[in-house]
Amino acid sequence: MTESTPAISIDRLTKRYGQTLAVAGLSLAIPQGSIFGLLGTNGAGKTTTFKCMLGLARPTSGSTSFEGSPLTPPLFERLSYVPEKCALYEWMTGAQLLEMQRRSFRRYDEKRANDLMDLFALDRKKKLGKYSKGQQTAMALVLAFSIHPEILVLDEPAAGLDPVHQRHVLDLMIGESAGGATVVFSSHQIGQVERAAERVAIMHRGTLRLAGEVEQLKSDLKVVEATFDDEAPSLNGLSTEPSVGQIQRAGRLVRIYVKGNGDEIARKIGDMRPRSVRILDQNLEDIFLTTVGSPSPAAVSER
Amino acid sequence: MPSVFTVDPHSGVPMYLQLIEQVKRSVALGVLAPGEQLPTVKQLALDLTINANTVARVYRELERDGVIETSPGRGSFVRDNGGVGRATRAADDVAASAIDNAVREAKSIGIDAAQTAALFKRALARWYPEPNDVKDGRS
Repeated sequence: MTESTPAISIDRLTKRYGQTLAVAGLSLAIPQGSIFGLLGTNGAGKTTTFKCMLGLARPTSGSTSFEGSPLTPPLFERLSYVPEKCALYEWMTGAQLLEMQRRSFRRYDEKRANDLMDLFALDRKKKLGKYSKGQQTAMALVLAFSIHPEILVLDEPAAGLDPVHQRHVLDLMIGESAGGATVVFSSHQIGQVERAAERVAIMHRGTLRLAGEVEQLKSDLKVVEATFDDEAPSLNGLSTEPSVGQIQRAGRLVRIYVKGNGDEIARKIGDMRPRSVRILDQNLEDIFLTTVGSPSPAAVSER
Repeated sequence: MPSVFTVDPHSGVPMYLQLIEQVKRSVALGVLAPGEQLPTVKQLALDLTINANTVARVYRELERDGVIETSPGRGSFVRDNGGVGRATRAADDVAASAIDNAVREAKSIGIDAAQTAALFKRALARWYPEPNDVKDGRS
């Protein structure tokens, strides 16, 4: 499943809108057949990245290649993109839009499209303008998955959908990737990325802050938490350790963010006569919040 | 049909570790019998709504550990030879590590050895109410 040539590779992509640097020197490699989650706060540059990747916005510098080659029109035969804001023809009915899709794509699979319409409980006879926001998103997803795409780029694909339909979207992504397709998606719902994505990239203010395999990041990033009988001792000695990231202190409590399993740092803290020491796992939300630099309120007040 | 396994994707413990532990536990308990077929990678991924490569990794590691065997085109099965023994030992390891964590936790919050032993005695009395249970340990 892991070919040497990534399905998508983004090379030092930069996009400037006037004074605003929306994306700054982003490089990413997305392996064939994987699901890749892009996380970031609002304005992190996720949508701009997608637009530049697909030639919908002209990058200020940098490039994107698909299977080692630049984007060319034939690729759109086997690529599906669902933008964050889907603009569907409001005067068309669901059935008419499907018919248009059928005529536009040789890969269109009518049975698949009909199954998906049923899955999302979409009314074929209703005008798209009368669809709710969530139904419009679902309709865009039906179109996207109806052509058995080899590459899927989904910008907030589950926004506005109810939890059951959100789960369907994840299952669709998982099913396509198990069949060899490459999926890139952005989401604000970290839980979705945690479930579906093999790899994740965290963007913040246009730059890449962290990228890796979700499971590996969880294994590699831990928090050593210690409490002391009195004020926590100075930990200056630890801050120079290569494995140590942020150190938060709040009175008798310290939390040390470490790379690796945390055993060694826990042992060193153990020598400082703490009252308690423990190693805490971090889920993707913890990792995300640490990465985009949002320390806990307690730690802020202690600074 | 609901899957026999569950994972907590929101845990800090990687899902593949959670799943490996659960499969071993199911084999040790006989929920999965020797020779029984496991769902395909894709099927289990969809049952649990988790990444398929994560499931593929679980199967690879279970095969390496001798708990299951995979034959191309046929699928993955609980091993007839020794799969249960290996899974039982793995389940013992899980119990041992849970007890280890409990003791470490007790120590880390300043409970001394005698007090910790008393806590254990209380837990044993609760879960092994018959005196013989305690004496014999695992049969």
